[in-house]
Amino acid sequence: MTHLADRAAPDGWLSRLSRIRYRGRRVDWQAYLFILPFALIFIVITLLPIFFGIYISFNEWGIVGDPEWVGLDNFREAMQDDWIPKVWGNTFQMAALVVPGTVLVALLMALWINREQWLSGPIRTAFFAPHVVAITVTAIIWIWIFEKETGLLNLALYGIGIPKQGWLTTSKWVIQSISLVTIWQAVGFHMVILLAGLKEIPAELGEAAVIDGASAWQAFWRITLPLLTPALGLVITLEIISAFRIFGQVYLMTGGGPGGHSATIVSYIYHEGFVRFRLGFAAALSLLLFLTILLFTLLRARLVREHSN
Amino acid sequence: MSNLSLSTLYNQTSLRFIKTFIIWLPGAVVALLWLFPLYWMLNTSVKPDRLIMAGVDLIPTEITWEHYRTVVADTPVIRWFVNSIVTSVCVVAGSLVLGSLTGFALARMHFPGRTVIFWLLISSLMIPPEMSIVPLFIGVLRLEVQDSFISLIVPPLASVFPVYLYRQFFLSFPRELEDAAAIDGCSRLGTFMRVALPLARPATLAGAILIFTSNWNSFLWPLLVAFKTEWKTLPVGMAFYTRLDIQGTSTQSGYGEAMAAVAIVALPTLIFFLILQRYFIEGVTQVGIKG
Repeated sequence: MTHLADRAAPDGWLSRLSRIRYRGRRVDWQAYLFILPFALIFIVITLLPIFFGIYISFNEWGIVGDPEWVGLDNFREAMQDDWIPKVWGNTFQMAALVVPGTVLVALLMALWINREQWLSGPIRTAFFAPHVVAITVTAIIWIWIFEKETGLLNLALYGIGIPKQGWLTTSKWVIQSISLVTIWQAVGFHMVILLAGLKEIPAELGEAAVIDGASAWQAFWRITLPLLTPALGLVITLEIISAFRIFGQVYLMTGGGPGGHSATIVSYIYHEGFVRFRLGFAAALSLLLFLTILLFTLLRARLVREHSN
Repeated sequence: MSNLSLSTLYNQTSLRFIKTFIIWLPGAVVALLWLFPLYWMLNTSVKPDRLIMAGVDLIPTEITWEHYRTVVADTPVIRWFVNSIVTSVCVVAGSLVLGSLTGFALARMHFPGRTVIFWLLISSLMIPPEMSIVPLFIGVLRLEVQDSFISLIVPPLASVFPVYLYRQFFLSFPRELEDAAAIDGCSRLGTFMRVALPLARPATLAGAILIFTSNWNSFLWPLLVAFKTEWKTLPVGMAFYTRLDIQGTSTQSGYGEAMAAVAIVALPTLIFFLILQRYFIEGVTQVGIKG
């Protein structure tokens, strides 16, 4: 009897709250306390700045003095700016090399390691290692490899009779060189994701197909590749996003040169925002960068959907 | 007769060995090539200038620490190292606390808004961090926290990755564990602290390693908020060594120092990776399969 009385007695707001149900189960109000600390930081550091950034892009905003509302002026200026087609073009060219290059090497190595177990550990280590070092490390190592007179690459090529090239100092090679460095650093990460995807595919499927008379090549196209689509899609999306954000290697290796031939979107944002302190214009450029990335990732998702239909 | 079968066996074994060898050779060569730039960094960093200039030799015949001493003398490398360590350790600790609490609530607790909050966090990943860099920079200037640990540590704490990692881990958790804990009289926080968190050790390790590495290597943000030399992190500070010789003059002076400088940046994460490789791979895999 006392038991029943206990339950009925406290009829304050707290107990009423604890009896509220959501989708048939009692609401766990403590959950909001669990989430609160991260939510606050996320709102202050990520959510609000996104909206504040859009607001800034409609202003002329310097490092000193008061900001001034200029409406669409920053975007209008961007449309007429000669640098915009240049840096967007450079970035597209790098993405066009880096995305397929990284995905292809990562896929080939993943397929191979997955097939044979022997040595797969050390090979995975070798490919992943460049991914764990800072961009400063990558950039400075490769500056010296690409160096014109005594760099390793030119020495090696000179040995087989190819004349020395200014890999980072001529407009002819600079985009390829930066892309190569980017691929070198990125492959290991994507290889591991693809390997995880491959491990999910039962080996019997491929074997059964081969027994049924399919060639290894057909088995790959008909079975492995379609089943790998989710992992592959993730890898491509991540690579598109990171290719459009290339900055460190350009900032450190060429400073955007020669003559702006390696300047990327983010290096231009950096230059306008944090060298010339035109923060409003830089915010407008960031918004355009976001729209570009959004467009390409949506396009990718669309392509995959059509392909699988 | 027995002689014959033995030689057949021998031939088969050696044939298989040759076949394996042929299959593996190109891969091994590519892997060695991939590793070569990092090896070359270490190699050059311990070679005396005389040998660096003499040409390419794969194994240094003479070892010197001179370049490392020059780097330590020329730059405030100790201070940069401390900045990097303090920042990375604080971000790891903070992220793990925030991420585990939030991830636990999103995976195991029942409340309105759970799905919406999760999708909000996931879709924020589609927005490049560059979008918030200008407003955050303005915020840092207004609060006058440039050149401080606050500006280095707080923004990276908003990373969604640890939340996601823990959520995925806690989702795979058997329901019975919590029920048992509840019967034993554990509160929600008690269940979290005494049951869930200890069992989430693999997620914690993988998260700690990946968060540490990405913060140690972080470049653009620390570059923006460190105005004074003594507030640079190691990767930003060592960018100093790019000034040497881009134009391709024929001298190789400074090569040894540059390689020693970047080796100082690279070695902590490389050693970390070699020892804890399993957890690196596990962390990335978590992102991959369940993504």
